[in-house]
Amino acid sequence: MDADSQTAIVAKSGILNRESEMSRMRLATNLITLIAVVLAGGFIAATLVRYSPGFDTIPEDLDPRINSATLQALHDQHARANSLPAFYARYLAGAMRGDLGVSHNLNQPVAELLRRRAPVTLRLILWGTAAGWLIAGLLAWMAVWTRRVILKATAFSISGLLLAIPPAVLGLAFFFNEAPLSLAVALALVPRLFGTLRALLEDCYTSPALLAARARGVTPGAIAIRYVLGAGAPQLIALMGVALVLAFGSAIPIEALCGVPGVGALTLQAALARDMPLLCGSALAITVFVTFIHAAGELATA
Amino acid sequence: MKKAAVGVLILVALCALFAPLIAPYDYSRQFRESPGVAANSQFPMGTDDLGRDRFSRLIYATRISILLAPAAALVSILLALLISAITATRAAWADHALSGFTALCMSLPWIFLFIILRALLPLNTQPMESILITFGLMGIAGWAWPARIFTASIREMTNSGWLAQARASGMQPRRIALIHAWPHLRAVAAAQFRALLPAYILSEASLGLLGLGVAEPLPSWGNLLAELQHPDRIQSNPWILAPLALLMLVMICLEVIQ
Repeated sequence: MDADSQTAIVAKSGILNRESEMSRMRLATNLITLIAVVLAGGFIAATLVRYSPGFDTIPEDLDPRINSATLQALHDQHARANSLPAFYARYLAGAMRGDLGVSHNLNQPVAELLRRRAPVTLRLILWGTAAGWLIAGLLAWMAVWTRRVILKATAFSISGLLLAIPPAVLGLAFFFNEAPLSLAVALALVPRLFGTLRALLEDCYTSPALLAARARGVTPGAIAIRYVLGAGAPQLIALMGVALVLAFGSAIPIEALCGVPGVGALTLQAALARDMPLLCGSALAITVFVTFIHAAGELATA
Repeated sequence: MKKAAVGVLILVALCALFAPLIAPYDYSRQFRESPGVAANSQFPMGTDDLGRDRFSRLIYATRISILLAPAAALVSILLALLISAITATRAAWADHALSGFTALCMSLPWIFLFIILRALLPLNTQPMESILITFGLMGIAGWAWPARIFTASIREMTNSGWLAQARASGMQPRRIALIHAWPHLRAVAAAQFRALLPAYILSEASLGLLGLGVAEPLPSWGNLLAELQHPDRIQSNPWILAPLALLMLVMICLEVIQ
């Protein structure tokens, strides 16, 4: 092996070391962010639950046999046992074990309610995201790849029209026509994905590598896999995380209005009933879920 | 195309501004003898279940939705500017903490954030209070998106030669901000304002449908859209779709001028 090759190998291994170090750093940053979110989210949730209306009420309040001095002593004891730091520690410890308290309104454990509803929402947003990607990808392809003005105008018009309709109205239209609601989530997602996918395809279409491949006569299928999916993989993965979160945002009003028993409807129900344990529990669970998705997307693109 | 869109928006804004002159009746006036009637010469779009003129309510709803969404967008922009100025010019730890918080706020679904904030405030409010709460919360909750753009712009500015020169010449920070920084940020702020406006109009519509927006009897596009939950009535009175059509028209015009 000559000196130049050895230098190249050393330089390459140096780059690889730096890259793996950066990946580790990124992993550590994402882990710290996740922990910070759990701690901060837990604190906000615990504070809201602790100071929610009715928290300071004790069962003895309704007992006419207890005199006011005893009642005051019981209230003081309750307040001491539930001071914010103590309550936060207990709430966080409970949350770590999967115990998010009991819903005031439904009188059931919050974690159990979330566990039951989560699959419904997950199904809705996963199908919605998948269909949204397909439709947005097709429209982006029509706008960029076909190079036909009429198709480009159609793609832009469809995307623009969908952007002008509130997701809840789409949901109602699908609900009353007995069509799958995941399609309403998909259509709400399309204009948000279309812009990014179109820009990505435009970049790929004008890249010299792709022009060379087309000139060499590479088949469209191979071009799509090697030059579009391959080159755009980092952005596509990042967009996938964003799409899931956007789909969840669209699913909330759709679930609430169309009577789908998912987490979105549960959250709205909790908000309308001012059920703080349920609201804070679902907020904490959703925040962790969203942070996890973003972290996973970032790590996948690293 | 852009000129036509601007024309339509100006027309809608004028209708909203001069609502009392255009609307034949007050938005809350009930015609108890004619609830739920179809369009006729007296009521151009018919009446709702409570006998209120749909056309008048639509005109007044436009006033609320189209005039208050810019106000909410302005609140978001001002808040974002303030937070970005702190983020970009303070110590690294503050920068990291605020950037992390911004990223978290951006990543959470907007409507979810709003539902949580709305639940912390009284739900049974006076109609005027509900307007302030709805649009105020939108303004407060929507700061994260423009803040990220502003922070990047301010950071770029703080590293620029002209700002260093202004500092070296002993200019007061307030003067630097007003004379040097603001003209640079104005264009970015205008672009962000234009981006937030349709988002807020759409959000108000979604919140109104969920019953978390502007309270009755005040009309807004959101609570007028709630009638869409009764599709059987649409066939007998297609004017129920008028708020949706107007909302879509305004949204499309806003997209065109962006």
